[in-house]
Amino acid sequence: MDWGVISRNIYFLLGGLGLTFQLAIISIAGGLLLGIIVGLARTSSIRWINYPATVYVNFFRSLPLILVIFWFYFLMPFIMGRPLGDFLSAIIAFIVFESSYFAEIVRAGIGSIRKEQVFAGYSTGLNYYKTMRHVVIPQALRNMVPSLVTQCVIIFQDTSLAYVIGLKEFLRRTALVDAAQFRSIELYSFAAVVYLVFCFAGSLASRRLEKRGRQMGR
Amino acid sequence: MIEIKNVSLWYDKFQALYDVTTTIKKNQTVVTCGPSGCGKSSLLRCINGLERFQQGEIIVDGKSVQDPKTNISELRADIGMVFQHFELYPHMTALRNLTLAPTLVRKKSKEEAEAAALKLLERVGIREQADKYPGEMSGGQQQRVAIGRALATEPKVMLFDEPTSALDPEMIKEVLDVMIHLAKEGMTMIVVTHEMGFAREVANEIIFMDEGRIIERGTDESFFKNPKSERTKDFLSKILI
Repeated sequence: MDWGVISRNIYFLLGGLGLTFQLAIISIAGGLLLGIIVGLARTSSIRWINYPATVYVNFFRSLPLILVIFWFYFLMPFIMGRPLGDFLSAIIAFIVFESSYFAEIVRAGIGSIRKEQVFAGYSTGLNYYKTMRHVVIPQALRNMVPSLVTQCVIIFQDTSLAYVIGLKEFLRRTALVDAAQFRSIELYSFAAVVYLVFCFAGSLASRRLEKRGRQMGR
Repeated sequence: MIEIKNVSLWYDKFQALYDVTTTIKKNQTVVTCGPSGCGKSSLLRCINGLERFQQGEIIVDGKSVQDPKTNISELRADIGMVFQHFELYPHMTALRNLTLAPTLVRKKSKEEAEAAALKLLERVGIREQADKYPGEMSGGQQQRVAIGRALATEPKVMLFDEPTSALDPEMIKEVLDVMIHLAKEGMTMIVVTHEMGFAREVANEIIFMDEGRIIERGTDESFFKNPKSERTKDFLSKILI
């Protein structure tokens, strides 16, 4: 065993962790935003809004993430007429893919709010947008917090798949160090501990938020 | 104030309202009663456009509810509604429940809306509950906040959909008292209820509905003393013990 391999390469590895966080945060922000729009569209009773959203969600939830990452990597230059680079195409793939999961969380959250709450908003003169913004979404969001945090943790782990298009995020850099220095056990154990710490912190935060939400609820 | 002309409503194949026609004049309190599923709640929801009817027309304060040219949100702010299960916003304090629509729809400033809301809470007798959340209040208090919320946009008409039927018996009176007060001040009201004591005290007229139709309409005395139809007699004999 030579644990020194980690301290010798720590800046290289932490640089990868930074990239992993960048990927995760941008994907979560973009995925959530797009997911809210698609999720709201899924709850619409108007067919030409509801149908495309349903097709979108079912389509991307049926594909493996790795395929979507590859696909956008080769597809984007074809659409845009020039290569976008591995980081940008990975971001687009993550946002599109994860938004379909966020959309389902949003749809379930909104479904958990009774129709009469919408009626109450309407009856005082609020329009659709204001009723959603002030009455439905704040309540739905509270119900969605545990699932949202879980999904964020999953995205954090999913970013490691970006290695397939050569993105040098944390796990990819761990593999690169291993390829040069043949310290697989030490390096991958270190990587495991890092993922474990951040994901476990996420789960803890989720549980705490859930508890607080329950206290505020009634 | 409210004109209902030949309104028919279907839920898929089930017809909930059959050619309903009636008028409610300004400053009148009209009580609507009838067995459950008779269409009385559906009719209320048609009046403020929460339910879309397929035939007929409803005109409130000179504006046709389903006319695409009518600004339905503004019209709804002119029509207050009180629900059976209160439907307060659980994530907002009582005060915020009352100020939301005035600030967003009537474009009042926060200070102006809050001052008016506190006065309304005073009127329904629960000013001291202003900073509480609905979950921290009794049913009777919640329903009084809900009446305050409906009044906050200064509506010209109030609709009550079984406002006391989800309440414990000892809380019914405090809610009815607020409604009686409102009726005596001259508010135009349609009240779906089986509280016949309330009907006797303040209703100018009573409408009896069954199976989606208006069976009978009368002033309270004629309605209680000599109902014309057999079905009304039968219904009254069941609820007036």
